[in-house]
Amino acid sequence: MAVTSQHLADPASSVAQPMKFLRRLPVRAGLTLLLVIEIYPIVWLLLGSFKRQDEFLSEPFWALPRSWGLRNYSEAFGEGGLGTYIRNSVIVVFPSLFLILLFGVAAGFALEIMVWKGRGTVLLMFLAGVMVPTQMILLPLFTAYFDLKLTGTLWPLVITYVAIGMPLTVFLMATYLRAIPKEMFEAATIDGAGVFRMFWFVALPMVRNAIFTVGLVQFFFLWNDLLISLTFTTSADQRTVQVGLLNFTGQYGARDYGPMFAGIAVSVLGTLIIYLFLNQKVMKGLTAGSVKG
Amino acid sequence: MTNNLHRGRFGPVVAIVSVGVLVLGACGDDSDDSSSAGDSTSAESTTAANATTPADSAPPADAGSGPDTFSYFGQTQNTTIVGTLETLAANECATANAAAPLKADATDGATWDQQLQLVAGQGALSNMSMAAGTPSLMKEFIDAGLVLNISDALEELGVADKILPSAASTIKSLYDNEDMYALPTELNIEGFWYNKQMLTDNGIEPPATWDDLVAAAATLDAAGIQPFVAAGQDGWPVTRLVGDYIARSLGPDALQKVADGQAKLTDPEYVAAADEVAKLGDAGYFGDAPGSIDYNTAMNQFLTGGGAFFYMGSWAVSNFNDLEQNKIGVDNVGFAPFPAVDGGAGSIDQVPANAGIPVMFTTNNYGETTKQWLKCVVENYGDTVLSESGVVTGFAIDSPPADLSPLTKTVQDTINNAGGSFLWFEAAFTPEGTTVSQTNGGGLASGALGGQEFMELVQKANEG
Amino acid sequence: MHTVLGNKRAVVTLLAPALLVYTAVMLVPILWSTAYTFYDGNAIRGFKFVGLANYREFFGDQIAWDAVWFTVKYALVLTVLQVGAGFGLALLYVFVLRRASGVIRTIVFFPVVLPTVAVALLFRRLFEAAPSTGPVNAVLNWLGTGSIDWFGQPGRSFWVIILMDLWRSMGFYAVLLYAGLVDIPEELIEAARLDGAGGWRLVRHIVLPLSLPILLSSLIFSINGTLKVFDTVVALTNGGPGSTTTPMTLYMFRTSFTYGEYGYGSTVALMLTTMCLLVTLMIFRSTRRDITRG
Repeated sequence: MAVTSQHLADPASSVAQPMKFLRRLPVRAGLTLLLVIEIYPIVWLLLGSFKRQDEFLSEPFWALPRSWGLRNYSEAFGEGGLGTYIRNSVIVVFPSLFLILLFGVAAGFALEIMVWKGRGTVLLMFLAGVMVPTQMILLPLFTAYFDLKLTGTLWPLVITYVAIGMPLTVFLMATYLRAIPKEMFEAATIDGAGVFRMFWFVALPMVRNAIFTVGLVQFFFLWNDLLISLTFTTSADQRTVQVGLLNFTGQYGARDYGPMFAGIAVSVLGTLIIYLFLNQKVMKGLTAGSVKG
Repeated sequence: MTNNLHRGRFGPVVAIVSVGVLVLGACGDDSDDSSSAGDSTSAESTTAANATTPADSAPPADAGSGPDTFSYFGQTQNTTIVGTLETLAANECATANAAAPLKADATDGATWDQQLQLVAGQGALSNMSMAAGTPSLMKEFIDAGLVLNISDALEELGVADKILPSAASTIKSLYDNEDMYALPTELNIEGFWYNKQMLTDNGIEPPATWDDLVAAAATLDAAGIQPFVAAGQDGWPVTRLVGDYIARSLGPDALQKVADGQAKLTDPEYVAAADEVAKLGDAGYFGDAPGSIDYNTAMNQFLTGGGAFFYMGSWAVSNFNDLEQNKIGVDNVGFAPFPAVDGGAGSIDQVPANAGIPVMFTTNNYGETTKQWLKCVVENYGDTVLSESGVVTGFAIDSPPADLSPLTKTVQDTINNAGGSFLWFEAAFTPEGTTVSQTNGGGLASGALGGQEFMELVQKANEG
Repeated sequence: MHTVLGNKRAVVTLLAPALLVYTAVMLVPILWSTAYTFYDGNAIRGFKFVGLANYREFFGDQIAWDAVWFTVKYALVLTVLQVGAGFGLALLYVFVLRRASGVIRTIVFFPVVLPTVAVALLFRRLFEAAPSTGPVNAVLNWLGTGSIDWFGQPGRSFWVIILMDLWRSMGFYAVLLYAGLVDIPEELIEAARLDGAGGWRLVRHIVLPLSLPILLSSLIFSINGTLKVFDTVVALTNGGPGSTTTPMTLYMFRTSFTYGEYGYGSTVALMLTTMCLLVTLMIFRSTRRDITRG
């Protein structure tokens, strides 16, 4: 029984192994195709970081680089100043991310778990923020930051990111918190727990994986943002990675492909590492499994 | 996911913005008039400037007054200006730099106009900065009193003669003003660069008339050579042809008439120009899918023998001189002015020219230290940048370097021998007209858009 | 319980930081910009009160309506495709690949990370027609058709934009939906299997209803993201050929910052916001109802 249990779901399989193989074939072929479609472009990007300018322009799309020197990378870090941009991105993105999650989860808790009049309206008001095109708030914000003498620092980026991250975070956290059985809080109340204890020891652990998921989403949004960072960084030494990548474009529209791709490769590898780290956390949270969609 | 603003078209538009020039030689007489006219008016405007500039009213003894730094704000993509300023700060302008050290900053060119508007709206322009990409935006700055009247300032500093008359008239016409509001840190001409080998192999002389050019294109096409290389994705390399044709057939002032409302782009004689270009596109002379070709690809195509004629500005000479990019040989690149149109009101010795992106000074905080800098830049910028970067400017040159490349020399000669010059197609258009024109340039080159249709779109956008 | 969870001071403490920063940095600027819709001009020229003129202009502006139409078409098509593909992938992860799905999930998710500039370059090269032939046209040539100028016609560039966004985003939606699917209790599915429900019936009657809340959240997220599409279009076609692929955000950006008509630009933005609001309210209401029911 134990040996055959894996075939139980498919009684026919023990009779016809080749049939099973054939039936799996479309799935396998589909999977292979999917992987090619997803992986090849990324390989192309990485290969691109080793190519010289004329290889980009004259050789076919699928050509391999002629040499594997790191010249593009040293150019990206040297003349391109990529190191500074990465530092700026890190300085801006991680504190923003922390604040987004902290404020967002707290607000989600207040709006979904706690009971008071008008919470539905406030939640809707947050939700409305998801719909506002960022372009619309640029001019007022620029004026405000200027009058507050914040222009020329990285503060405008952090403040704007936190605010823009708020609607989606609050909305998603409220959705996730909604799924926690109400009895858990009742039980905690009977045990004499205060609101903050409940928030910290009951709610937070239950939505840990949700926090990582939302954090992941926000991280990519912040890391890849160009519009906001372009508008609010007025000096060269405040540039973030995405703004820095534009440096490889010349005044008349000419592009320096090699160093640009090297810059992209570095930026992407960094995010990949973070993703793999967070992904593991998310999966751990998921297998602990306390959230129902 | 609002990440990337990116370049696609903002880059080129902002970048190319700029041109100018008016009638150089024909203007030779004119410019005398205008400078004397300038003299008479300058007295008034100087007084006006004095009234608004506290530093001016201070006693001369207070020579060190003014801001204690000299700030410069430019586009990241342009490293020439800031590099030259740094060289000047260390050498010729060391005194000015000691009084007010250079503080340079930059932002991305793709959103240059947006950024400049935001900064200007706060009254926070740098002492010196690259000008707005769109001339009409620059006019708003001028009207709002944000930009220094350079003509008056140079008069006061006694260095007005350091600006070439042709460059001065370019800048003046660029902003449609009788005074200069920017310094010509670059002076470019445009025309057809061609692959000499391809032309001689097919028995073609550099075309003198438009009909010659069309015939040459037909011959080349029959021989299996792509006649024209153009970055249709950027649009402007195609719409320039329309503008140049109009200047040749109707005269250099024809487009200003459109801006002044005396003529419409939809008038038959204007439509004819767009039709001529559309015909080339229809015949497939720009190759397959010209609307997808960007600046780099076009440049590379020409420099690897992928086409015979390449309409481009003289800033590209540095690409032509770069052996890593140029596979057809430096000696193999020839220059032909935009051909004449039979019976047209314009002449072939009038050149389409532009001043790159000029630099402006702000009135805000303009004081003695800024004046020192302005004077020093005007006196030394031209020589320094020519010998260091090979850039031709609108400043008078005191000591031309001996080892100029032949192509750079061609450019200088063309400028010196020009019988006048004129603005590019969209120069006098509204920003909306400019955008619509350039986003539809690719359609002209691919034959997807007819001349009539194109002109109707642009005329409508111009009327707002 | 209500006394503890109704603690006013706690509500304020927990809610205040989020609400403050959100109000100051989003709500106030939105109202500020809304006020601009009654004005003509920009920060340099100054603003002039024009009443409802901007709104009248909007309703008579053919280019604006073209932009609205493009935006709606794009948002509908892409939302259906990306949530659909994401759901398909999530099903694949949960029911076919099961525990082995980790690597594939990561790989399919990955394009979301790439900068738009890079993705746009990639797609331009993939669909290149001249001077060199890109892979897509190479396949077409091999099949015997000529190369197609993908960016020369509105209809074609539309689909290239859709394809590019789909490629980028389906892995993201797959992960979002996967998180919902994985929480469906194993016993429920086993029970249904034993009742003879398999394949499509299982999905329809068990999986779909149970993942409805997260599916609707994904829809809200997707429709709002796609209605506000900006960077992918700017990077790939820049609204071209002509202005045929110009979404409202790009039109708004150009009007405000390139044409210097800040008042009118704000009007376009407000119209877009209103559109997003209506669509979201519609979806949001159905979410609420379904949650109380389920």
